[in-house]
Amino acid sequence: MSGRVVGTLDALSGTLRSFFVAERVAARDGFLQRRDPRAVLFAVGCLALAATVSRSLVVLAALGVTVLALARVSAVPAALLARRSGFALALAAVVGLPQLLLMPGDPVVAGLPVSEAGLAYAAVLGLRVGVGVGALSLLVLTTRFSAVVAALRALRVPAALVWVFAVTYRYVVVLLSELGSLVRAREARGGGGNVRTEWRDARRLMGTFLVRTFERGERVGQGMRARGGDRPPSPYGGGQSLRAPDYALAALSLTCLLAAGVVQWSP
Amino acid sequence: MVPVIEARGLSFSYPDGTRGVREVDLDVAAGERVTVVGANGSGKSTLALSLGGLLDAEGTVTYFGETTDADAVRERLGVLLGNPDDCLFNTTVREDLAYGPAQFGMSEAAADERIADLAGTLGLDDLLDKPPFRLSAGEKRRAALASVLAFDPDVLLLDEPLGAVDGSYRELILDLLREHEGTVVTFTPTVEAVPRLAERVVVMDEGEVVANGEVREVLTDGELLASAGLRPPPAVRLFEGKLPREELPLTVAAARELL
Repeated sequence: MSGRVVGTLDALSGTLRSFFVAERVAARDGFLQRRDPRAVLFAVGCLALAATVSRSLVVLAALGVTVLALARVSAVPAALLARRSGFALALAAVVGLPQLLLMPGDPVVAGLPVSEAGLAYAAVLGLRVGVGVGALSLLVLTTRFSAVVAALRALRVPAALVWVFAVTYRYVVVLLSELGSLVRAREARGGGGNVRTEWRDARRLMGTFLVRTFERGERVGQGMRARGGDRPPSPYGGGQSLRAPDYALAALSLTCLLAAGVVQWSP
Repeated sequence: MVPVIEARGLSFSYPDGTRGVREVDLDVAAGERVTVVGANGSGKSTLALSLGGLLDAEGTVTYFGETTDADAVRERLGVLLGNPDDCLFNTTVREDLAYGPAQFGMSEAAADERIADLAGTLGLDDLLDKPPFRLSAGEKRRAALASVLAFDPDVLLLDEPLGAVDGSYRELILDLLREHEGTVVTFTPTVEAVPRLAERVVVMDEGEVVANGEVREVLTDGELLASAGLRPPPAVRLFEGKLPREELPLTVAAARELL
């Protein structure tokens, strides 16, 4: 029987692991999958940045529609995108929802303690997180990780930064997998109990996880080094030439970013 | 002939004091097949890592008679770690197989061809777009082996290449290693696999090399193997005392012929 606390840890590691791994969607035939990874990276960067700088509900909604349209033409199911964004939205809700009640201002409906300012804040925060995470999810879902690394190198991002990014990303997936194994091993020997027991077990589990993180990290480091991992990353997929649809995608996303900036800073 | 690997005085202890290997000397000639056997905890994996230049061990290892820096000849050394999870750190199996060839500068077309070939041979075709953590233990082992073979190294240092692999793939891997044109050093606790893997066998016990010789000579010496916590292969045990030592069958197939 899975305990609540440990079960939550397992669900958390599974959700995060699924978020970072594209599985089969990247292999499908779709608009973004056919694009040069540099163009996809640039477009996603622009959309995420646009969502970050914009405070206009209309612009954020338009950005959301753009992300959904890109998902549709790239054979990415909307439900999958929503599931991936849902986790980040839930975290944002922890921050945003109290503001509904705490922010001063006129009530939306007489008698309800929800202010207009609070509602606007929560809506902007929700849309911002949804669009940003949705755009990043599109990148993860449609572009192979090695192609993203190759695109970063092609865009002349310093090798050291790309190396840190590549290693960090790989370690996140490996270590979440390690956490999943630990939780399952614990469950196999009887989980559950009252909440106090569960918290104690969860603390022990996290302690063991931290120790194993170092040990596993060292061994994976050996595995990488054995296959040239101490050299600058040089994955395949960076040698293509950009085509008209790649430029169109880049132009669309740049327009979104500029529009978000203009609307934000115009008087 | 200049050895491709020449280890002298290799010693390594883990930070908690556990001894990994002690004063190991080992030469491996070009094209040779050597298997290192030993019970659990005898130091095989530590020796594999030390020979592969992945542990900061005392002593020296000279590669190809040229250098003691393993990183300088890394693309010529294929090291399979004992735990396949440690070899599979990319988001899909395909990316893991392409990692080594890309890092070592193999052309993308050549890598694609090599990966398709290995995936076909090792039954990984349907697994290429899966994340490694979704594979079974045997599938992980095959994928990890393929990730090492993908960049076509001259020398293979393979820690338990057959672990958790089922019967039919076991035969395929044995054939693949037999056909490999370079040098193959395997590390395994499974004595019965040795006659199929090697011409020379090294026995380890408590971090030290306790025997190093021709396969028949070592595998028919029950006393020696017992002292290292091992047993002779089943075929040898079946005919022990019934046939002279030099006529003992080493494999089940040879035993079946005698019966």
